[in-house]
Amino acid sequence: MDTPANTIHYFFAGYAVIFGSILIYIINLIGRWRKLKRDAAMLEELERTRQTS
Amino acid sequence: MGQKPKALTILDWITGILFITAILGVFFYAPLEAVMGWVQKVFYFHVAAGWTGMLGFLVSAVAGVLYLVKKDPRWDRIGFAGVEIGMVFMLICIITGSIWARPIWNTWWTWDPRLTTATIMELIYAAYLLLRQGVEEPDRRARFGAVYAIIGFISVPLTFLSIRIFRTIHPVVIGSNDPGAAGAFDMTPRMMQVFMFSLVAFSFIFADILWHRIRLGALADHVEQKKIQLQTWGE
Amino acid sequence: MKNSSPSLWKATLAIVWKDLTAELRSRELLTSMLVFALLVILIFNFALELDARARANITAGVLWVTFTFAGTLGLNRSMAVEKDRGCLDGLLLAPVDRAAIYLGKALSNWVFLLIVAGIVLPVYSLLYNTNLFQPGLILVILLASEGYIAVGTLLASMAVQARTRDILLPILLFPVVIPVLVAAVKASSGFLEGLGWVDVSTWVNLLIVYDVIFTAVSFMVFDFVVEE
Repeated sequence: MDTPANTIHYFFAGYAVIFGSILIYIINLIGRWRKLKRDAAMLEELERTRQTS
Repeated sequence: MGQKPKALTILDWITGILFITAILGVFFYAPLEAVMGWVQKVFYFHVAAGWTGMLGFLVSAVAGVLYLVKKDPRWDRIGFAGVEIGMVFMLICIITGSIWARPIWNTWWTWDPRLTTATIMELIYAAYLLLRQGVEEPDRRARFGAVYAIIGFISVPLTFLSIRIFRTIHPVVIGSNDPGAAGAFDMTPRMMQVFMFSLVAFSFIFADILWHRIRLGALADHVEQKKIQLQTWGE
Repeated sequence: MKNSSPSLWKATLAIVWKDLTAELRSRELLTSMLVFALLVILIFNFALELDARARANITAGVLWVTFTFAGTLGLNRSMAVEKDRGCLDGLLLAPVDRAAIYLGKALSNWVFLLIVAGIVLPVYSLLYNTNLFQPGLILVILLASEGYIAVGTLLASMAVQARTRDILLPILLFPVVIPVLVAAVKASSGFLEGLGWVDVSTWVNLLIVYDVIFTAVSFMVFDFVVEE
């Protein structure tokens, strides 16, 4: 019986790409969410000051 | 934006558990393939990522049609979310495919119909993003995005077909363009189980990320509207 | 749309007529497309060393790259003119079916591209001492340019309404017309190499399928692209 080819490095590279990409995308989404939340809060603040003045 | 819905939190948890189970299944439960060895295990998530990518593009085309019919901005958000997620997963599919091809076909890249079509799809949806970026008016942006998502999605099968015929007529220079010739393997029942499970897990990942991305889109639209409101007020 | 078909055709032809007479007067669109096309061939001549042996294989490729690039130039110009002079708004306000606007613009763009092809073919034949006037090749040019123009007119009318309009059209158009280009190049080179109908028919069929699908879809969604 032949032993399988030694391809474990490619295996690790493949899964590094899969996990890495998903992780980067999720972090990117969280970053965008936080930034938008900040913007929304800022805009609300601006709106309030406009209304009172 | 409102509070995070409870259903979404539950979906997060289910997705997480399914994903971890799928990883354990691929790493420990699935048997080692006799010829290719470890790299064959990339296959499970490689196909699942491609599946998720296609789901994303399909969702964007369907949402495009629905947007044009109903004119509800919600469909635009769904379509945009579908494209973005589709691009991320299709890219994963292309890169892992390339990593798999290196030891098995002895090349990083072949102009195989599936690979080429996947790459052209990335280009189509990159054009979609550029189109959206170039249009400022939200309503028009949504309409153009919907139209292009439909046109782009319809062209995909024809592109695949044309490259497929092109390849079968042409001699193949490097390696083989047909996975049936090199790198094919018979799936054992265990492999089949892990494969099916990965598809299900990735479908859940898709649904979960899609939901989050749609919420992000809603927030972005809300902020954009507020900005326009304040600007017109200031004048 | 169906009940207004007699006036649909009349309106379509009126738009085609308007474009053709305007072009006859200014000649700016055709001139620039032609000069551009000849320049592309000239550049290919040096870039690829079009010697007699290589030529037979790559003529089809050179021709289709030339038509594709000249076509984008023409499409962009033809829609940008409508947009800039406010003609698009005028047309939209006019009591004509939107479908007529699409059909009219597509037809006149098609005519322009065919005129360019009609001049490029003899010039190429003359320069490289080959005969490109073969019925098969002409059929391929008719079919492929139709599909190309059908999608191109739709996408160009979106591109000219965007901020990044000058660079947007090729980026939008090229990835979705790849099947047309692959089929056109393979069918053209098949006919030029004198292969029989059996070898080329697959590609011609693919072109017909593409034409039917994309003309129908573009026609249906055009309304949404020009909506105000």
